[in-house]
Amino acid sequence: MLTSILQALLNGLVSGTILAVPAIGFTAVFAVLRYPNFAIGALATLGAYAGWFANVRLGLPLEPSLGFAFIVAGIGAIAAEWLAIRPLEKSGALMMAICSLAVAIVIENMLRFGFGNDPRGYNVPLMRDIRFGDFRISPQQVENLGVALAIMALLWVLLNFTRMGRAMRATADNPDLARLKGVKPAMVAAITVMVGGGLAGIGGMLVALDSAADPLTGFRLILSIFAAAVLGGLGSIPGAVAGALIIGMAEELTVLLIAPNYRTAIGFLVILGVLTVRPGGLMGEKQTA
Amino acid sequence: MSIQINRRHLLAGAAAGAAASAIITMPGIVRAQAGPIRIGTLTPLTGSGGQYGPVMANVVKTIADEVNAAGGLLGRQIQIVSEDDQTNAEAGLRAARKLTDVDKVVAVLGTWASAVTTAVAPLCWESKTFLFTVSGADSITQLPHNGWLARTQPNTTLQGRKFGEFAMEISNNGKRAFFVMPQTPFTQSTFSNFKAVYDKAGGTAELLIYDDKKPSLRTEVDQIMRFNPDVLFVGGYLTDTTVLVRDLYRAGFKKPILGPGYSINQKLVDAVGQAEAVEGAYSMLPSPQEGSAGWKRVADITRQASPDPFSCQIHDHISMAILAMSQAKEASGQAIRDNLRKISQGGGDRVDNVIDGLKAIAAGKKIDFDGASGPCDFTELGDITEVKFRYEQVKAGKVSLVRIG
Repeated sequence: MLTSILQALLNGLVSGTILAVPAIGFTAVFAVLRYPNFAIGALATLGAYAGWFANVRLGLPLEPSLGFAFIVAGIGAIAAEWLAIRPLEKSGALMMAICSLAVAIVIENMLRFGFGNDPRGYNVPLMRDIRFGDFRISPQQVENLGVALAIMALLWVLLNFTRMGRAMRATADNPDLARLKGVKPAMVAAITVMVGGGLAGIGGMLVALDSAADPLTGFRLILSIFAAAVLGGLGSIPGAVAGALIIGMAEELTVLLIAPNYRTAIGFLVILGVLTVRPGGLMGEKQTA
Repeated sequence: MSIQINRRHLLAGAAAGAAASAIITMPGIVRAQAGPIRIGTLTPLTGSGGQYGPVMANVVKTIADEVNAAGGLLGRQIQIVSEDDQTNAEAGLRAARKLTDVDKVVAVLGTWASAVTTAVAPLCWESKTFLFTVSGADSITQLPHNGWLARTQPNTTLQGRKFGEFAMEISNNGKRAFFVMPQTPFTQSTFSNFKAVYDKAGGTAELLIYDDKKPSLRTEVDQIMRFNPDVLFVGGYLTDTTVLVRDLYRAGFKKPILGPGYSINQKLVDAVGQAEAVEGAYSMLPSPQEGSAGWKRVADITRQASPDPFSCQIHDHISMAILAMSQAKEASGQAIRDNLRKISQGGGDRVDNVIDGLKAIAAGKKIDFDGASGPCDFTELGDITEVKFRYEQVKAGKVSLVRIG
C-alpha cells in the first residue's frame, strides 16, 4: 500500500507541475486585471491544437511547437480581451468573468468547427515507462516536467529581474501608485494577458502531449486550475504553483482512497474549504473586511 | 382617461374574439395540417459522442428528403429539426424541450448517451412525443414510458453477458478479469452481467470506475496492474479511452484488451498515434444488418465502407416513424406509438426501405420493416428482440472483422 501511495504521489507531482503552468496564467491575469478569466481552459485547448498543428501538420519538433502554442494562445487571449472582455470593464469583475465563460464557449466551438470532434494525437513516440524499483515514470512525463519547471524559472526571472516584470508586479500591487511612477497600465495589462494566455496554451499542449488534443482538453482542466489558484491565493504566483502541486497529488490519492469518480469533488471541496477557512488562500494577500 | 365603447366597436371586437377563440379551440390536428410534419433529431453533435451525431442527423435529413421528393407523407412535407444534446443530460433536456414545446415535433430520434435519454424520456412521454433511442442502459426501457419509447440498441444485460463471454474466450478461459469504465447509467448493469459470467465459471471480475475528465490515468493503470488480470475490459468513450490506452502501453500492460465498438475503433488507433499501443485489442458492437438494402443505403449516405451501428439505427428510426404515421394516416406521436409494431413485426410484406414501405401501405398491404440495423422487432417494453454482434480486432493498425454472430 505504501508503494502505491508513493507512486500516486509521484504521478500527482507530475500532473500538478503541468497544472501549475495554466494556473500561473490564470492567477497572473487575476493579479493584474482583477477578474477570473475562465477562458483560460479554452485557451489551453487552443494551445493544444496550435501545438498539434505545428507538430503534426508542419512537422516541427516539440520545442518550437511549444513556442507556437504559446504565441497562438497568447494572441487568442489578447483578441478575447480586447474584443469581448475589456468593453465590459465598467460593469465590474463579475460581468468580465461571465463574459470570459462565453468567450470559452466561442473558442471551443471555433476549434470544433475547424478541427472536428475527434481527438488528435501528437507525433511523438509513445515510450514505455522507466522503472526504478517499484516505481515507474514515463519519459514523456519527465520531459513535460522539465518543460514546466523551465517555464516557471523563466517566468520567475521575468518577474523579478526585468523592468517589465517589476511593472507587472507593481501594477498588481497598487495600480494607481504604479501609474504615478510612469508604468503604462494598458501595456502591462496587454502583456499579462498575452503571457497568461500563452501559459495556458503551453499547459494545454503539455496535457495533450500526454493524451490527445480534443475540443474539451482545457475544459476538463478548468476546475482544477481554478481550485489550484484559489488554494494558493488568487493573484499569487508561488501560491498557484503550490496549489497546483497539492491539487495534483490530492486528485491522484483519491483514486486509491475513495472512488475515482469523486475526483472532481476534490476541486470543489478545496475551493469550499479555502473560502470558508482561509479566503486569502495559502499565499494570498490578507483579506480586509 | 376615458374609453369610449360604441356599438360598432363592440360588435367588431366580439367578432374578432369569436374568430380567435374558434382558432384556439380548433383541434390541434386541424391547425397543424397546414404546415410540414416536424420530426426532431437529438444526437450528440458535440461532446464525447460528437463523432457520431452529425453523421446520424445527416442520415435522417437524407431519408426525409427522399420521402419529400416522392410526394411527402400524408400529402405533407417532412421537416427535420436537428438539435445538439452535447452528450450532456442537461443540455439534452434543454434541446428536447425546444423540440417538443417550440417545434412541436411528433418524434425525437437518436438520443445517444444513456444519461441524455434518461433525462429526455419523461419529457417526451408527457408531451406525447415518440422517442427512438440508440442508448443501451437497461434502466431506460424500465422507465414508466407506457409505450412512448423504443430502442434499436441491445440493452446492457445482453451486452454485458456477451462481453463477459468474449472476454473469457480471448483470454483462453483466464479466470481474472478487470473492468474499467467511467460512471454512466449502464456501468453497473454492464459490469454485473459481465461479472455473472465469471462468477459462474468460478473466476473473479473487478470493477474500477474512473473519472473520464482526468488528463492522466496512471494511478488507475497501477490499480489494474496490481490486480494482474488475464483480460481487461475498457468501456470509456473515445477521449478517455485514448488516455487509458496510452497509459496502459507506457506501463507495459500486455494482456488482451477488449471494449465496446464506440471505444475501440479506427479513430482510437488514429488518436493514440502509435498503432502498436492498440494492436491486438478487441471490440464488440451490435452488428448492423450487413449487406441489407438499408445498410447499403446508409453506407452511401455516410460514405463509410462499413457504416457505424448508430447511423444504421437512426436510419431505421426515421423510416419506422414515417411508416407508422402512414399506417395510421395521422401525423402524431400517438400514431407512431400505436402503429410502430404494426409496421415493424408480425409478418407481412418484407420491406427494407421507407419508399417501398409507403407504397405498400398505400396499396393496403401489411408490412414488416427490416432495417439497416436489423429486423427491428420490439418487445412490449421497447427493447429489440433480435440482435447480432460484430467482433473485431485491431490488426496491423487496422480494425478487422473477426466474426459476426
